Amino acid sequence: MDRNQITKWLKAPAKMANKYSLHAIYFCTGCGIIEVPPVITARWDAERFGVIPVATPRQANLFLITGYVSVKTLRAIIRTYEQMLEPKYVIGFGSCPINGGMYWDSYNTIKHLDKYIPVDGWIAGCMPRPEAIIVAVTHLWTLIDKDMANGYVKYRENYEYYRRNQELALGKLEWPPLYPTE
Amino acid sequence: MESMVAKITQIILSPVLALIVGVFFLGLARKIMARIHWRYGPPLIQPVIDMIKLFYQKGVSHGRIFDLGIILSLAGSIVVVLFLPFGRIAPLSNSGGLLVILYMMLLAPLGMALSGGQGANPNISIGISRKLILSLGYEAPLLLILLAVMTHYKTISIVEVVSAQQSTSWSIISFPLFLSGLSYFLILPAILGIRPFDVSSAPQEISSGPMAEYGGKYLALATIEHAFVLFISIALFVNLFLGGAANPFIFFVKMLVVFVLGLCVNAVFPRFRIEQAIKYLWKWPTLLAFVSLIIIMAIRS
Repeated sequence: MDRNQITKWLKAPAKMANKYSLHAIYFCTGCGIIEVPPVITARWDAERFGVIPVATPRQANLFLITGYVSVKTLRAIIRTYEQMLEPKYVIGFGSCPINGGMYWDSYNTIKHLDKYIPVDGWIAGCMPRPEAIIVAVTHLWTLIDKDMANGYVKYRENYEYYRRNQELALGKLEWPPLYPTE
Repeated sequence: MESMVAKITQIILSPVLALIVGVFFLGLARKIMARIHWRYGPPLIQPVIDMIKLFYQKGVSHGRIFDLGIILSLAGSIVVVLFLPFGRIAPLSNSGGLLVILYMMLLAPLGMALSGGQGANPNISIGISRKLILSLGYEAPLLLILLAVMTHYKTISIVEVVSAQQSTSWSIISFPLFLSGLSYFLILPAILGIRPFDVSSAPQEISSGPMAEYGGKYLALATIEHAFVLFISIALFVNLFLGGAANPFIFFVKMLVVFVLGLCVNAVFPRFRIEQAIKYLWKWPTLLAFVSLIIIMAIRS
């Protein structure tokens, strides 16, 4: 830890702690789950970056969405995202959450994930290599440093837009709004 | 007057020291586990970073008992720390004894059970029932072990047990008591809740059980609680069987040795099912502790 880091820690401890303690909950919607175990185990060891997998959304602040998002799993993704505590960051892993990917014409998948929940960063590729998660985490650090990883703030401010899109995709939602609308 | 001031300083100092040692052990555990898995591992201060983050987050509460239960378990742990001698630092150990420690050690799982019960998550209920069954499993041998120690040294005071060991020899290398010591080492992973006895907080089966609804400050408090439990169960072992220590540093080194041995067990073993855990706990450790107690009684009479 150099002197620059220490001044940063003293100036904004919350931001620095958020950076170096990203507890990830990953949502294996279809493909992509096979890329996660090498990252968290001995091959690429994400723990040295402070990234560890946790079991429940309450303990997590990094949400990794791997692979295509079907309409059914979108429901679970939204509920998981709303249960996470702020600050929370979302990374879309693979090309399908970005723009539908090879499931563009599918009747059962959604095309743009960031219409339904705010996404802070994307990892393009089908599939990306496992190291890409580590690269994404370092990019996320830069974004957090510049206060640009503010997806959760956007979600709070534009909640009506997101809720409307969610209702368009899923029909009537059975859970109450997270933030007061109107 | 001066002894009063010294006592108050010790009462404040002892939980702080216990917290520092416990959190250091948490960090060390992650690093050593990583090295055993051939990984580089997180920095040693990773638990501190996590806790800073968690204290800045706004947690979700599930009612008043949810808040108070975790404070109850934390308070129970801090009180036990006051009764345990840490080297020469032993603020309340003259007034208490092994029986008080035995009672107060139950407060930690009970407080967590109260707190988690408010969470209304099915995973929490499963985790709590497993945790209480597990504590039923290790309390029986623990009671036998403490009875054996108390009968052998004819005292319930932990300070006298330590001074008796320092004048003769450690009880882990004296004849009937080494069986008890072995038995304590066998149930140590169950008290700590690490593998192969991490049934109650199994993340892959029941989403970390009682911790499932903890986030933010609650998770930070639960981590601190875990650090205290780590300190208590290892310090009890060092005091009863490794002869305590004349100063805190030697005591800390002894604790470190015991902890690293426990971690090696943790790193290589898979998880028991709950009924396998009970079967194991009530078989070998209980048998060893019982045999040791009977031999001591026979020698005494």
